[in-house]
Amino acid sequence: MIRYIGTKLWQSALTLVLASLVVFIGVRQLPGDPALAMAGEDASPEVLAAVRTQLGLDQPLVNQYLTFVGNILRGDFGNSTRTGTPVVDLIGTTLPVTMWLSVYAIVVAIVVGVAFGVIAERFRGRWPEWITNGFALVGLSVPNFWLGILAILYLAVTLGWFPASGYVDVLTDPVRGIYYLTLPAMILGTALAAVIMRQTRASMIETMNTDYVRTARAKGLGRGRVLVKYGLRNSLIVVITIVGLQLGGLISGAVVTERIFALPGFGKLTLDAVFTRDYPVIQAVVLVITVSYILINLAVDVLYSVANPRIRVGGSN
Amino acid sequence: MQHPPHLLPHAGGRRRGLGRLASLAAVVLVALGTSACQPIQPLQEAPDRADITSVPLEGRTIIEGGDLVMALSAEPDRLDPTTSSSLYTRYVMQTMCQKLYDIDADGAIVPQLATALPEVSADGLTVVIPVRTDATFADGTPFNAEAVRTTLDRALTMKGSVRKGELGPISAVETVDGSHVKITYKTPFAPLTAALADRAGMMLSPTALADTSKAFGDHPVCVGPFKFVNRVPQTSIKVERDPLYYDAGNVHLDTITYRIMTDSNIRAANLRSGDVDVADSISPQDVDPLMQEKGVGVLQVGSLGYQGLTVNVGNVNGTGKPVGTIDTPLAQQAAVRKALSMAVDRKALVNTVFNNWYQPACSPIPPSSHFASELSNACPEYDPAAAKKLLADAGVPVPYPIQMKVSNSPDALRYAQALQAAIADGGFALTVNPVEYATLLDVQTRGDFEMIQLGWSGRIDPDGNLTRFLSTGAGNNDSGYSTPAMDKLLKSAAQTIDPAERAALYGQVVEQVQADNPVIYLYRVRSLTAYSTAVAGIQTFADGVVHLSNAAFVEAGK
Amino acid sequence: MSVITAQRTRKSDAEGLGSGRGRVWQLLRRNPLGMAGAVMLALVVLVAVFAPLIAPYGPAEVHFSTPYQKPGTVGFLLGTDDLGRDIFSRMVYGIQASLKVGALCVAVSVLVGTPLGLLAGYWKWLDAIISRLTDVTLAFPFLIIAVGLAAISGPSLTNAAIALGIAHIPTMIRVVRGETLRLKESDFVLAAKTMDASGLRIIFSHVLPNAASAIIVQATVIMPVAVIGEALLSFLGLGIQPPTPSLGIMLSDAQQYIFRSPTAAIFPGLGIAVICLGFNLFGDALRDALDPTSSSRK
Repeated sequence: MIRYIGTKLWQSALTLVLASLVVFIGVRQLPGDPALAMAGEDASPEVLAAVRTQLGLDQPLVNQYLTFVGNILRGDFGNSTRTGTPVVDLIGTTLPVTMWLSVYAIVVAIVVGVAFGVIAERFRGRWPEWITNGFALVGLSVPNFWLGILAILYLAVTLGWFPASGYVDVLTDPVRGIYYLTLPAMILGTALAAVIMRQTRASMIETMNTDYVRTARAKGLGRGRVLVKYGLRNSLIVVITIVGLQLGGLISGAVVTERIFALPGFGKLTLDAVFTRDYPVIQAVVLVITVSYILINLAVDVLYSVANPRIRVGGSN
Repeated sequence: MQHPPHLLPHAGGRRRGLGRLASLAAVVLVALGTSACQPIQPLQEAPDRADITSVPLEGRTIIEGGDLVMALSAEPDRLDPTTSSSLYTRYVMQTMCQKLYDIDADGAIVPQLATALPEVSADGLTVVIPVRTDATFADGTPFNAEAVRTTLDRALTMKGSVRKGELGPISAVETVDGSHVKITYKTPFAPLTAALADRAGMMLSPTALADTSKAFGDHPVCVGPFKFVNRVPQTSIKVERDPLYYDAGNVHLDTITYRIMTDSNIRAANLRSGDVDVADSISPQDVDPLMQEKGVGVLQVGSLGYQGLTVNVGNVNGTGKPVGTIDTPLAQQAAVRKALSMAVDRKALVNTVFNNWYQPACSPIPPSSHFASELSNACPEYDPAAAKKLLADAGVPVPYPIQMKVSNSPDALRYAQALQAAIADGGFALTVNPVEYATLLDVQTRGDFEMIQLGWSGRIDPDGNLTRFLSTGAGNNDSGYSTPAMDKLLKSAAQTIDPAERAALYGQVVEQVQADNPVIYLYRVRSLTAYSTAVAGIQTFADGVVHLSNAAFVEAGK
Repeated sequence: MSVITAQRTRKSDAEGLGSGRGRVWQLLRRNPLGMAGAVMLALVVLVAVFAPLIAPYGPAEVHFSTPYQKPGTVGFLLGTDDLGRDIFSRMVYGIQASLKVGALCVAVSVLVGTPLGLLAGYWKWLDAIISRLTDVTLAFPFLIIAVGLAAISGPSLTNAAIALGIAHIPTMIRVVRGETLRLKESDFVLAAKTMDASGLRIIFSHVLPNAASAIIVQATVIMPVAVIGEALLSFLGLGIQPPTPSLGIMLSDAQQYIFRSPTAAIFPGLGIAVICLGFNLFGDALRDALDPTSSSRK
């Protein structure tokens, strides 16, 4: 176990260093100048030079990288070149928004996906299955920006059920906070729900066909109880796997969802930073995503062993 | 640790897909069922669009207080008038930071923190500005001539100031007494008043400037109806009523929240759903349906700027650097560029692409300007046959290929695609290369383009639309255009104080531009601002900025 | 791992897919949904190939005086868009472009992912390095890659496809690596090893042919995701160079005037749905056919 943790630690560290190098060098290869993107239409050569000095962009690359790493180790991610705000503050305000949104979306996706998966299995060949399958089709085949705009158009504007935009901090006002996040979370969770539904249903069918379930059924255990006792437990593993796998997709999805619903989230921060060549923000964003990726995968590993004791942590295929 | 999706336990059932097929078929049937065979509905002629610049408060029952939410189409940069360069910063700053002069609904310059227009000496070298004595900054610091001097000094000397150039060749700023400031020039500089009606004229609290513990842009303190509360980056900026404001009786709202929403149809949707009260830069695609909506009104005003094609005629070393030679007929021969200008059916393009909402433009000076003249309003005739003939006479291959770079924003791309189709008749084969925003700024200043589609937000004074683009080595002369005649014309126009004389000179400038065509002007946008009819007292001026200082919630009626 | 249950019983290696082909076809033929998917795909591909013959207008042909025509208008079967372009014609060419993006994306992920997966699965020491690279790619937000490519050489079909392809490389590596690990322990590879065959030779003549089916199935998974991914990039302005239409560009254009002409957004959306559905159905059937033990039809 200790060896396993040790291996994980150095692997994670290596991944982090690699990611920081890739983003640091990569972002500086992009055409486009943060000084120029910042100064916009009023830019003059003197202003640009002043801004570059201010941002340390006139230093050699190696110095810039060492400064960057040194500052990070001291907890300083620098200031946004665009608004002058400390990057730490930017991440501190935007990350919780995206975390709430993602958690909410994952919960929606799991509840809807598993429920629909069970329904589809339970009513094979009848109309409930058709409806749930139709849902899966939409979820997998429709880009979520389009779905989001339709949702705003019909659920927010025409029906007025949900606000079309805005964010209320979930901790200060949980009820309104959750209400404001409902529509975005539903849109973000749709694709995930569709994947979960398909896989849940598949795993259900597989479980129901195994020998031990046949035996259980033969012993007179009701179909419903078997479904819950064996089917759901197996589908849990499937769900964990998918959530772990789809997290990257969820972040890309969050970029779009946040933009459409004007949410002050991490995805929006990322996109704006890349478009305006805000180097310090891009670098910090990539590091944060890498760290979360590492942590989430650790969590998925642990969850596996909890959900299915037969899987030994650290075991690798 | 990871599992590719396809390796998950899986079971393919026949029914699964049948259901999906059925639902798909249903959608198709519904879609087709709603459409019978119908005749073509041609586009309507463009109606006359009159500017509607305000929703008056007069005669409405005001409900005091409340939080007005405005959807902003782009995020402001630093909230510091000395270093800010984003247009959208003005939207927010104008409720917090009053200027020495302001622009009224007719585009005329009127005093704001100044008490009268500047007194200019006969030689044009000394300018005296009388200023208010009854105003107080939001932090309690009194406003006076000394504060004006501090602010202007900062603009002239601060590292990173982008206002320096706007103020011209100033040699000294002094206070005459508590209510008069004297500015001394090396050479006469007519555009000063207009500059002081923009960000250079925003007065900053000397106390706040002296506080070095915080950047001024993080807590701007000015004279204004509202004062800064907080800013959530990428998201919102909030201001509240300032009780110390000299005209506080005419301020009705408690707070204003600016929320940043970059997509036009999202702003429109939020206005419809009532989540925001005012939204700027409504797209011509959304405005017609929006105007039919109950409880929504639209303000509109023609822009001071322009949109056009900048042809690279000599920018080989970068903008502002010495020009070089580009060996293509487009860069070398004015006739080819003239043909291009003649090949564009400006009117048909704006009508289709912008649904009759924008106006064709042929010059950098808008017809609404006080300096517009018959010459500056002249337009090259749309004549594809003549354009083709010009090309043939110039001895270039027809169709003549042009590579055009364009921003990847939806409106720019739409226009570019329409342009591409439209100028084919005139003998041009246009290739559209969309470029992402930051890259566009980069290629533009490096001169890495044959032709580029660019716009300018516009300035009240024509000099702000001309000198920086057309004079040799100027900061925005991306075209690399350099002719002694134009330099001379622009210089004398900027130094001429008499308006009629200036107008005549600008007429000549336009004539020269239309002969050389380093920039081919295409259209002028209209600033479209939508508002909920539950609010009134909103104004939008020729610079497109939405003014909310006197806005209020009102009872329904009228 | 427990969830990876696929175990093929076939032992002959040299035949590879060869003898399987007939069997795959037979199984596919017995699966009506798979057939439906295959027919849909065949139709879509035919439309794409014969686009110039099918479309009544050019994809960029602008009719300035007749924008926003409704579906069913005389001369414009599905109506026109905001610049008066025929939506039907643009759909036809759009399908072509979307398939190109999908195919290119698959090509990138297969060409890069397969060799890396084979190496990682076969040699343990390489596995450590390749796994770190995979981790970095997975953790790296793919939108940053997409913007980066667009910034360097402008938004284009190729760049969109490459960015999407890069995003799919890690999954491809994992699939191939998993297959390699499994095949490495199979009798025929062990047999080849005893005959002193070199590692590379074993990889290419024994492992790769047997991993092919997994790669093909993964490709059918990637295709529809790439088609949707292209729509997403178009929405962010990083998609295909105009005036070439893709279904994604049409969809993101149409959502800008959805208040004015809601129907214009429906058809490209349907086009994407059909392509995705076709690949999903076909992919499912193919998987069942190639991988009998994971099939539910037993």
